[in-house]
Amino acid sequence: MRISLTPRAALVALLALPVIVLWPRWWTLLAMFVLWALVVLVDAFRAANPASIRVRRESPVQVRLGRSATGRLLLTNPTSRLGRLEVRDAWNPTAGLAAQRSTVLVPSLERRAIAQTFTPARRGEHSSRALLISSRGPWGLARRTAPADAQGRLLALHPFGSRRHLPSRVQRLREIEGLAAVHQRGQGTEFDSLRDFVDGDDVRSIDWRATARRRSVVVRTWRPERDRHVLIVVDTSRTSASRLGESTRLDAAFDAALLLTALAGQAGDRVDLLCIDRIAHVSVLGSTRTKVLHDVVAATAAVDPALVETDWELAAAAIAERSRRGSLVVLVTPVEASVMHTGLLPVAARIAKDHPLVVASVADPALEQLAAGRGDIESVYRAAAAERARAERTGVSRAFERVGAHVVDAAPDHAPQALADTYLALKAAGRL
Amino acid sequence: MSTPPLPSAPAATGGPEAASTAGAAASSPSPDRAAGSSPQTEQRRPWLTVLVVLAVLGAVLASVARGYYRDGPLEPDAPTGQGSKAVVQVLEGLSVDVEVDRHTADAAADLRAGRTVLVTDPRGLSSTQLAALAEAHEQGPGRLVLVQPDDEALYALAPDITRSGSLSTASDLSPGPECGDLSQGARTLHVPGEDGLRGSSSLYRASGEARSCFAAEKGGLVAGADRLVVLGSADLLTNDGVANGDNSALVLNTLGVDGELTWYVPSAGDPLGSDGQDLLTYLPDWAGPLLLWLLLTAVIAVIAVARRFGPVVVEPLPVTVRPQEIVLGRARLLQQADARDAAATSLRSATATRLADRLGLRRESALDGLVMALAPHVDRSPEQLRTLLGPTPVPDDQSLVRLAQDLDVLEKEIDR
Repeated sequence: MRISLTPRAALVALLALPVIVLWPRWWTLLAMFVLWALVVLVDAFRAANPASIRVRRESPVQVRLGRSATGRLLLTNPTSRLGRLEVRDAWNPTAGLAAQRSTVLVPSLERRAIAQTFTPARRGEHSSRALLISSRGPWGLARRTAPADAQGRLLALHPFGSRRHLPSRVQRLREIEGLAAVHQRGQGTEFDSLRDFVDGDDVRSIDWRATARRRSVVVRTWRPERDRHVLIVVDTSRTSASRLGESTRLDAAFDAALLLTALAGQAGDRVDLLCIDRIAHVSVLGSTRTKVLHDVVAATAAVDPALVETDWELAAAAIAERSRRGSLVVLVTPVEASVMHTGLLPVAARIAKDHPLVVASVADPALEQLAAGRGDIESVYRAAAAERARAERTGVSRAFERVGAHVVDAAPDHAPQALADTYLALKAAGRL
Repeated sequence: MSTPPLPSAPAATGGPEAASTAGAAASSPSPDRAAGSSPQTEQRRPWLTVLVVLAVLGAVLASVARGYYRDGPLEPDAPTGQGSKAVVQVLEGLSVDVEVDRHTADAAADLRAGRTVLVTDPRGLSSTQLAALAEAHEQGPGRLVLVQPDDEALYALAPDITRSGSLSTASDLSPGPECGDLSQGARTLHVPGEDGLRGSSSLYRASGEARSCFAAEKGGLVAGADRLVVLGSADLLTNDGVANGDNSALVLNTLGVDGELTWYVPSAGDPLGSDGQDLLTYLPDWAGPLLLWLLLTAVIAVIAVARRFGPVVVEPLPVTVRPQEIVLGRARLLQQADARDAAATSLRSATATRLADRLGLRRESALDGLVMALAPHVDRSPEQLRTLLGPTPVPDDQSLVRLAQDLDVLEKEIDR
């Protein structure tokens, strides 16, 4: 417990001035000081004991970035004195607590609430580092301060801005599945129904046995398989720390991963997620279809880029362990020449042998702006350098395509849709 | 985070666009940079350096030269008009031992030791200093020469002599019969009147045993008493004034008669100069404790206001990296190396790739194929296209900018 002074204590000290003028002795000074200190101490000890104030926190557990959440601090005063309390709830600044300090009067044996509003400015985990309660004396000259034990945690979730693209993709999915309108002769193996032959149908799909029973020619239709497995591997190494526009590359990568998770959940596929750099540090495995999106959002909320290289051999081992043959593997990592040096290509080649593989990359939109520069000689040189970098990216993505991967390379605001469309295209082609 | 150069992966960067040529033709850098860039600055720099060195040297020399003397009215070392170097040098030439004092205590000691003491500015002396001098003058055998003293100094040092008026016009004065040896053989003294070093000259009247000399209407310019001479004007001693009339005769004889002279210039740093009376003694006795208490209150207020309520909270911000650094760095490198051909190659191959995609050609198709496919769609001749897209050298920066714009125009034409 600490005792501290209020500005009023200094004002009270001025009351000693007439005494000092009347008896200008040095011992008068000393006596006045002792008297002043005694008064301040007495006031401090007449304050309600802050250590015995009971605190309960009702704070939100998680909130989506960009929204606000409200919570409460409940202060109970079990002492027999009126509590003139000042409370500081020391959250980190980006937790967006509207007012960290508040003053409240809690009468003896009563309880009061302090309302709190959080508007986080940063994705991830926020916490209250300290909760301090200071109690002012009845004369307001001094206060006693004590820390209170009330853990506060708030998880700011990824905003998932790409969820507005979900309805249109689900619509496409329904078309592919044939639940909505069109039954098509897909290459899936799951038998769906029989229908009459129309011009344009593949003759190989004619069900001769059924045709023999009826007078018209009948074809079988299949629908794409459900309950397939999708493994999303997000690279959180140094390349994901790039700032593209407002947010980092990792944020855009999670946006894409979330849209794919939601879409695959709608398609009835199981989704697992793996965040990997030098170690596999976050994973969402074996969630049910209804819960997977929530689990992925919660798991990715606190993941930040790290300035390390990704160990792709480790990633390959993790993928081999967690996927069975034929499941879709999505590597979310930038397609860049620097990635080639980390040994991604041979690993991708190995994965692509056993699985359909999609390499999803978030491109830097600034590169395109640089490449369009024409004004003066400096911007032309920049354009040349940017074109060179783009050519290298094209070369790298072609190398991936050569080993059998599908490459999606798009700017942050297009990457989620592009990945979802690739997934749908794979579904439609019966590759999944 | 952009891509570094990729020399080891030609297969990955396959296609004609990745092949870079580096035939850089030398030429001047970009026009906007030329103004502040090296050649002009390097030519100008030696002159600047020489100028700066000369200026610094001159300043140092001037300060050293100024350091040889102290300038001021009647300063014995000052060669300026108001100084007295001429008199001092002539006196030393006459084998007079001249010593410079700045403190009253030293001057009084010299006076007791029997030396002649010249007080250049008696008006600047406090009563304590005057009393010390008067005491020494009474005790010792030394002579005292006062330059234009005021009433206070006269009252303390020479009660027989009083100030009777001033002489505000330039005039020549001759010694009267009452002078005796006080005139020191000077037949005419010249004083400048109002324009003098200390304004008008002072005139003195003598009574009792004292005498005055070189009389004007209201009194004499020079007065003398027992072992004491009063000079009515500082201009008799200055470098400017000593040569006028017979000033030099009066001054040199008066000062050099004993062969030992103390040139006393009163200074502000004299320990006797301050009278020991300061404002603090006028304060009431409770002021000290009161001030201390106010100080204590201020400290209390600062402690109270500076209280930090709880810890400083540190924000764990995630790391971010600027992704375009490598691209920008490469651009700067190209520009500094004037690698116009390399830059042109990247721009051309990028355009060629996009055009080939749009026209449905294979990526690896050669320049000829591209030109042939383009020719029906644009207004340009195949030769022009070949110059635009082929590896034609780029002579200067303007052509590079023009090439980039031409490539843009070509792409837009195909888009239509």
